[in-house]
Amino acid sequence: MRTEIQLVEAAQAGSVEAFTDLVRRYRDRLLRFLLTRCASHADAEDALQDTLINAFRYIRSYDSRWRFSTWLYRIAIRNAAKLRTPDVVEIGDLSDEENDPLMQCIADSESENLWISARHLLNDEVFAAMWLRYAEDMSVNDISKALDRSASWTKVNLMRGRRALDAELNGRNEKSEAYG
Amino acid sequence: MDKLAKRLRRDADNIEVAVSDELGHRIAASLRSVSPEAKSVAVPASRRPAMFWWASSLTGIVAAAAVIVIVNTQQPAEPPMPTPANIVAAVPVIDWKTETATLTGQLQQELDALQSDIKKAEQKVREDIGL
Repeated sequence: MRTEIQLVEAAQAGSVEAFTDLVRRYRDRLLRFLLTRCASHADAEDALQDTLINAFRYIRSYDSRWRFSTWLYRIAIRNAAKLRTPDVVEIGDLSDEENDPLMQCIADSESENLWISARHLLNDEVFAAMWLRYAEDMSVNDISKALDRSASWTKVNLMRGRRALDAELNGRNEKSEAYG
Repeated sequence: MDKLAKRLRRDADNIEVAVSDELGHRIAASLRSVSPEAKSVAVPASRRPAMFWWASSLTGIVAAAAVIVIVNTQQPAEPPMPTPANIVAAVPVIDWKTETATLTGQLQQELDALQSDIKKAEQKVREDIGL
């Protein structure tokens, strides 16, 4: 089995198979992330396809000092942003829970999923930072590269996001205790 | 890992998403129609030959020296002092020989006409009141 670096080198040489192997381990997670940033499942799938095509097209400009996943997420964020221009998506669409592609992937028994609250409490970029940190285990440096922000911005906004979600979680616990 | 981080991780794992076979085939087909683009090679600044830096520095120094020399050697010429004759020529000439009557003649005529009109008017008023 080839390592990630070997696969990248083969993809840079033009091997579609190597690139397919390389992104196979990321594509489900990328789709899940894109579902948090797109208005519909179809948009998220389109964004994933565009992301992988762009990644392959520009694989020769990939800098190996970055983690490959960070580079992929950065491309994904840009592609999702293109699909979320005001002409394409009405602002209210994402708050409509029936149409929310993320909600559609969460089982009914998981209606207390904290990421649903996060979508309502946090703005897009803070949500993305929180997701990359806690769902994807990215470091602060990798998150700041993926979001094209400074490390200090990332730290501050992770802290704000945590504070908002902590308050939400504690509020829920207090309610459940009160109603026994 | 703290309580919130664990909860976020667990909730993220509960979001079950997988790329469908159809999407996988679509992506594979799209990838086959694309080929990696050549990396744009920018010439790094450090690749310039050392002679380039020497030549540009020397050019700068020579240009600065030339400007200094020109500024210091080409003093602006002293403005010519006006001669008395020039000063006289510059002052407007007034013909002092002109008679005062020539200058005030028209005004005097106007005054005479007005005084005559007043006299006529005064005489007419006297006749009207029977004096």
